[in-house]
Amino acid sequence: MERNAQHAFDAEEVMAYLDGELEARRAAELAAHLVSCSECQEVAQGFRALSERMLSFEVERPSVGMNEKVLAALDAGKSAKASGAKDLAVHKGWKWRGIFSHPRAWAFAGAVIVLAILIIGIPRKGETRLEAKRRALSGLSSDYKSWLSKEGPAATRSDKNVYQTSTETRETDALVPEAAPGPAPPALAGDELKAPENVGPMIVQTASLTILATNYEEASAAIEKLAAAHGGYVEKLDAKSQTGNARELTASLRIPTKQLDGFLADVRKLGHVEQETRENEEVSDQYVDLQARLKSARATEQRLIELLGTRTGKLQDVLEAERELARIRGEIESMQGQGALLVHRVNYATVQVDLNEEYRQVLGSGTASTGMKIRNAAVQGFANLEEGAVALLVFLFAVGPSLLFWLAILLVPGWFVWKRFRVRARS
Amino acid sequence: MNSDDQLILEFQRGAREAFVELFERYREPIYGFFRRRLEHPARAEELAQECFLALLQNVQRYEPRAGFRSYLYGIAIHMVAAERRKAGREVAENEKLDSRAVEGNAAENSDAGIWVRKALGQLEQSEREILMLREYEQLSYGEIAAVLRMPVNTVRSRLFRARAALKNQLLPVK
Repeated sequence: MERNAQHAFDAEEVMAYLDGELEARRAAELAAHLVSCSECQEVAQGFRALSERMLSFEVERPSVGMNEKVLAALDAGKSAKASGAKDLAVHKGWKWRGIFSHPRAWAFAGAVIVLAILIIGIPRKGETRLEAKRRALSGLSSDYKSWLSKEGPAATRSDKNVYQTSTETRETDALVPEAAPGPAPPALAGDELKAPENVGPMIVQTASLTILATNYEEASAAIEKLAAAHGGYVEKLDAKSQTGNARELTASLRIPTKQLDGFLADVRKLGHVEQETRENEEVSDQYVDLQARLKSARATEQRLIELLGTRTGKLQDVLEAERELARIRGEIESMQGQGALLVHRVNYATVQVDLNEEYRQVLGSGTASTGMKIRNAAVQGFANLEEGAVALLVFLFAVGPSLLFWLAILLVPGWFVWKRFRVRARS
Repeated sequence: MNSDDQLILEFQRGAREAFVELFERYREPIYGFFRRRLEHPARAEELAQECFLALLQNVQRYEPRAGFRSYLYGIAIHMVAAERRKAGREVAENEKLDSRAVEGNAAENSDAGIWVRKALGQLEQSEREILMLREYEQLSYGEIAAVLRMPVNTVRSRLFRARAALKNQLLPVK
């Protein structure tokens, strides 16, 4: 196909002319030229022969099955445009496969995963920081507590040496009431609270029991009596008795701390103990703080009284001082009230008793008619359905986004890996 | 007779027959396109099918810019490229085209066909693609340029190179 450089038309133009791709004026010129130029005729003949030769690369016709599938998809698409999800997936598949066969795509996916882990990890880190802070604070408070115990006068400590100051030992259940027969609550001396030095660690105790009673009547009657016998009282009592159901009694009792163990031992005898919890909360800090504030308020009060008694001044100043005195007294009273309450909480443990009847189902004991029962059941059923649907929706909204996120992160690359694997296995 | 571009626009407006007509026109060419480029007839048919399904699904997004044929063969080219990448064949493409022509399709092709396949296998890939689109799919230079996203002049010069190379292999030198 070497051509003379001086020739009017080069072989590429002849080719373009044969392909019908030469612009009209040039094509007309070449057509005229071809008539007379044997060299160009030869070139043109070469191209034609090549095209003919290439046509010998034939392929068979497609099968009829192809028509059916495509036309079926066409009809399905017409009836519901969105329903061709699978077909779309088929189409999308090659695109995505194309994307994920690229190494850069994998690098990007990896970066996304690392970023996601970092994002999820950062709040956790913050949390641990918070926890460390909390630990530091609790360390501080225990230091303060040990300081309290050390700074307390030796005489007091030898008198009331029964108290454990370390939080660990206090938290163990057995030690509190047995080794120490109840913390000595600071008593009110007139309208004054006792000095903090005389106070050991103050512990508010709470206990809670769930009892299954065979003899419900006896047990429920006994609770109040037991409380009274141990010097305590009933704070709240709630008894439920529904037809067709086991009866139950919920009682909130206040028992002198020293009597707590004896009382609990007696209550346990009322039936089978299903659950029992004990909690001890230390309130020394609160109490010490309260007393310090009270002391300072008292000092201010004293100074104001002295001022009013000894100095003379303007009427306005006197009135101002009187107002301040009234305010300080109000504060003192409020603090005294708080202190008394705290002392009471320490002196009297709170005991929560849940008494359940061991119930024997009796046939036909219900009062409701059959019709009413069915109606109630239907209403209940509908309510359950509604609740279930709402719960499902709530769950989907709560979990859905993160679930989708992780599915996208984990499953999509996995799916492509599997696809590639499968294709490789096939080929 | 309506042009392809008219038909696809009619189908966009909801005329089912327009698509059926287009499918009838391009069923065999599209199958042939995949068949000449892939080893297995079944896979070629699958991809031809997927090509039409892709057309079907994305018809609303079609815009008559470069013409329907460019659009359709553009889809097909993408699918073939993805298929090759997927199978990790790109590197050994020439050898494969060469060897499978002799081994796999001997029964289906005439001797001349085998030689053409073999000669095509020797060409550089982009030149081979241009030549095949021109000879078998009968695309114009402009359409090839749109499908392969290259300037028309590049298409013309590469086509010329491909033809020259193929001619040297297939036709006796005078």
